[in-house]
Amino acid sequence: MSDRTGRKRTLIPENGPGDAPESDKGRSSDPESGWTLDLSLDVNLGAASLRAQIRTRARSVAIFGPSGGGKSTLLRVLAGVEERARGRVAVRGEVWQDSRDGRFLPPWERGVGWVPQDYLVFPHLKVRQNLAFAGAGPEEVEGVARRLALGHLLDRRPRRLSGGEQQRVALGRALLARPRILLLDEPFSALDRPLRARVVEELRGFSARHEIPLVLVSHDEADAAALGQEHWFLSEGRLEQTRGP
Amino acid sequence: MVEAMFPDPPYGAPRRTLSSAIPLLLGLGSLLLGTSPAVAASQTAGPEEGERPRLEPDLPSSPGDSSILILAAASLTDVLPRVAEAWETTGGMPVRFSFDATSRLAPQILQGAPADLFFSADERWMDWVEERGGILQESRRTLLANRMVLVVPSGSPLDRSGPRGLESPAVRRIALAGENVPAGRYGQAALENAGVWEAIRDRVARAGTVRGALEWVARGEADAGVVYRTDALAEPRVRVIHVFPEDSHPPVSYPAAVLREASRPGAASAFLSFCQGQEARAVFRAQGFEAPAATPGAVAGGTPSVPDPWSAIRLSFLVALAATLAGFVPAVALGWMLARWQFPGKNVLATLALVPLVLPPVVTGFLLLSLLGSRSPLGQALAAAGLPIPFTLLGATLAALVVGLPLYVVSIRNAFQVVDPRYEEVSWTLGRRPWPTFLRVSFPLALPGIAAGAVLAFARALGEFGATVVLAGNMEGQTRTIALAVYTLLESPSGREAIWVLVGASVLLSMMALLGYETLSRRQRRRMEVRGVR
Repeated sequence: MSDRTGRKRTLIPENGPGDAPESDKGRSSDPESGWTLDLSLDVNLGAASLRAQIRTRARSVAIFGPSGGGKSTLLRVLAGVEERARGRVAVRGEVWQDSRDGRFLPPWERGVGWVPQDYLVFPHLKVRQNLAFAGAGPEEVEGVARRLALGHLLDRRPRRLSGGEQQRVALGRALLARPRILLLDEPFSALDRPLRARVVEELRGFSARHEIPLVLVSHDEADAAALGQEHWFLSEGRLEQTRGP
Repeated sequence: MVEAMFPDPPYGAPRRTLSSAIPLLLGLGSLLLGTSPAVAASQTAGPEEGERPRLEPDLPSSPGDSSILILAAASLTDVLPRVAEAWETTGGMPVRFSFDATSRLAPQILQGAPADLFFSADERWMDWVEERGGILQESRRTLLANRMVLVVPSGSPLDRSGPRGLESPAVRRIALAGENVPAGRYGQAALENAGVWEAIRDRVARAGTVRGALEWVARGEADAGVVYRTDALAEPRVRVIHVFPEDSHPPVSYPAAVLREASRPGAASAFLSFCQGQEARAVFRAQGFEAPAATPGAVAGGTPSVPDPWSAIRLSFLVALAATLAGFVPAVALGWMLARWQFPGKNVLATLALVPLVLPPVVTGFLLLSLLGSRSPLGQALAAAGLPIPFTLLGATLAALVVGLPLYVVSIRNAFQVVDPRYEEVSWTLGRRPWPTFLRVSFPLALPGIAAGAVLAFARALGEFGATVVLAGNMEGQTRTIALAVYTLLESPSGREAIWVLVGASVLLSMMALLGYETLSRRQRRRMEVRGVR
């Protein structure tokens, strides 16, 4: 807990995820690069459908709206785990999906830090192993754990964690994967007020330091206001911008 | 003919291949549904012989029916219906039959099988029933006689060398009926008196009935066999190369008697008299039977051997373990595909994987024998590669594996199904490809359920009987597992005591396995509960 005063310490010390990895060579860039996010989607899931057009240079985008409006689905499409989505997804100048030419970058090559709404902390692994899942070393793991107030829980099993603790493990796990974009699904839902302020601060710092864009969805506009430069409202599968950068 | 080679479940269950599988399936079904298997089990077996629920043959038995029901030795399968036909044309009451090995029919009589007449292939078993008051003493008479012959497949090079020819190493398998089935004892006595028994005993495969032994020879699975002359004459696929002298084995005589609990003793008695008349004699003679010898001589030999229970337990353990290990990778792969993949033909694959669960095990064994027997191309290729399937430990393992696989696959599929697929999705987004994700997430998460499936498959393999006896035979020290040893002992009037070691081991092992299954299943459920915490 020594970092309470030195709050500007970096989460990920070296080789920040902002540095383009070499594997980027094989990727296709978007001709009109410069957009952090360029989506044009048509998702049909039988009962529900989602039509979304977003084109933005903002570093953080908050999408809010009532439950069942398609927010989680939008994040799943970005993460690459929603097979039924049609349309085009480009992130930071890279085309991840384009149904017209069948392009689809599998999730393990996208580099997304996805924090699902119900955390999905691996139940068979201790907190430490969960955080290190993407390959981070022990020092990085301990650093992030301290920052997210998880330092004393590293050897616990998820079964013995509270919802808020699990939520922070999921967040730490995503940050330690050196993502190129963060996808946060209701990231503060289980956190009490002081913790929430601390996590917001960490996220803001992480995003700024490494220039990682961040997409946050929430049913609560206050969450959106805490992190989003740009606000969109998603309801009944339709998306509209409510506040510019 | 083929039907007759499928021996029935041990002692007490009459000849009903399909319907006798039902209690087993109910038991398995309740297991899969999570209800207590003890309830299902208690419906199929009682603790004491006397308390055993009566499993009655599905043959007409209600008093309203006017027909005579006859329990008859399997070797009379072809001839008795012809005699009955003649009897019915003279206006006799219609006759119905239940054919099986004498050794299984005799205990059924004492359990109150609702029959009228008993045609035994053996005086000893008739004595056994008579001592226990199962028949009307005064009605007993010896009707027929038969001879033991040595048969070979019709294309076999073995010829007139007689029993000595069996000593040739080219004769790998000699089929006999079980050692407590009359034909099995007579055959053994004949071989003993011919002086070849010691040389060939390790190559003897015991079938459930004499018809089963004949079928093995006819299919070429056995190179030779000792059967009744009458059976051999009725089977075009075999050739008789030697008729054993009459004094080389106990006289093969067929005693018959009216049962004490017969519901139509009058008609039954009349049918017996008809069987001794001129018309019936002609039918019997045409089928190769002889009139009984005037004075049955006393010839020694054919003493039944008692299976060694510990050898059977060891063997069962080995077979079950080998089947469980060999099935692990296929079961995990199939379970995973059925739980996670969508592909054309998935339903077909699922059905194929599950079909041995509902198929009578003897049918599974028969299909395996047809597919992998020494007459099939696949079986010949395996034999050439040094992996012969029929009558080997490998065959017993394969039978146990195939019959146990459905439970294995279903348990593992269920284990994967309770793992939330989004854990795998999270793993992908963290940079792990599908195969590492399977190894690091899906497999460990499903591990307790997978282990439970292995335990269940192990338990099923321990108890496997029907497919094993058809595919691998019943060979002491080679393929005689617990179930087969119990089956063999049940055929012997003297085997009742030795059985308890095996029954005890069987019950203990099964209960331990089910306890393990329950514990592991509970652990699997607990492992998945973490997301309930908020």
